[in-house]
Amino acid sequence: MRRTYAYIISIIFMISCFPQLSSGQDTIDFPLKIRLGIEAVGPVSYYTDRNILNTEVYLSADLNEKRSVILSGGYLDYKYSQYNYEYSNKGFFVKAGMDFNLIKPLKSQGKYWAGIGFRYGISHFTSQVPGFSVDNYWGSISGSIPAQTSWGHYLEASPGIRTEIFRSLSLGCSVNIRMLIHTGLGKDLRPIYFPGYGPGANKTSTSFSYFLIWNIPFKKIRVIQQKAPPEESDDTEDNTTNR
Amino acid sequence: MRGYLFAILSGMILILVSCAPQTCYENTDAEVKAYLYKKSTNTNTAPDSITIYGLNMESDKLYDKSINVKSAILPLDISTSACKYVIRINGVNDTLGFGYDNFPYLISKECGYTYYHNLNPDSLTYTTHKIISISVIKSSITNLNEENIRIYY
Repeated sequence: MRRTYAYIISIIFMISCFPQLSSGQDTIDFPLKIRLGIEAVGPVSYYTDRNILNTEVYLSADLNEKRSVILSGGYLDYKYSQYNYEYSNKGFFVKAGMDFNLIKPLKSQGKYWAGIGFRYGISHFTSQVPGFSVDNYWGSISGSIPAQTSWGHYLEASPGIRTEIFRSLSLGCSVNIRMLIHTGLGKDLRPIYFPGYGPGANKTSTSFSYFLIWNIPFKKIRVIQQKAPPEESDDTEDNTTNR
Repeated sequence: MRGYLFAILSGMILILVSCAPQTCYENTDAEVKAYLYKKSTNTNTAPDSITIYGLNMESDKLYDKSINVKSAILPLDISTSACKYVIRINGVNDTLGFGYDNFPYLISKECGYTYYHNLNPDSLTYTTHKIISISVIKSSITNLNEENIRIYY
């Protein structure tokens, strides 16, 4: 009887220690991280084209092995000129949203990320057209549009990848596909380029981002993952065929 | 790991070399599109000949005894809010005056800015030597190919 009780207690103890472990599952300790990223293309491009200074930093925190919340912000100083006009835009932007990791935790281990992020972006900017010229039958006329301050709103989807190259340091890249909601300047004088979004004359915009990321682990969680079903070997198939 | 790094670096190079300037392919002029209608048949018909020039600008004609003109393009004077044209249809002169507001409009990054106009139908004036009547079809004058006024002769 005592043995029976001992067995029962042992089984209950084991079940309580590994409540969700079964023969088809693995558990891993998954590190949740806070990430601080800085966009690399903007500052690099500034050395080749002094008319566009575009900077962006982000802060993200893992909620679990798949999801993380992200907050990013940046600054734009944009100047453009061609034969018939000059344009400038300066301002800030903030984006907030969530990233979803599509890699399974066993492979990701908190080091690799491939997935998609969704964000809502808001920009505050001042745009100006210091001069433009128009020619027609009656002659040539020069005009200007004084500085206008506005708020722009947009949505962004960012599929991308990220990998840890050294301890606590990752590189990541993403394609950013944006949909304009509102520029705040009306349909006649849409901003040629505005912070966080890009070409404001277009309903959609795309860009590439490359991030250098500092990872700070803050917690470990235990993640349970289903084992993949064993694949049938070719030998078995061959044997079956031979029969 | 090397594969990831290669993809990232090659992408960066692609971005740096792909920032080539683009060309403007759009019509940048916002002009009045005047369709010519023969009153007796009420059809869009070209007169035998048409000559059009700005008032006091006879040396610089937009159309000079032109034939097969079913619609005429009339630019507006951006420096003011009114302008007048002389229209000679089949050798008979008339004057046509427009009143309008100008406002700047962004066409595109490549093409830049132009002025659009809003015609004031009440300030449309014309003589009736050959012209019978004029109706305003669309008072907003843009770079789109839209009928703005209809001239009956």
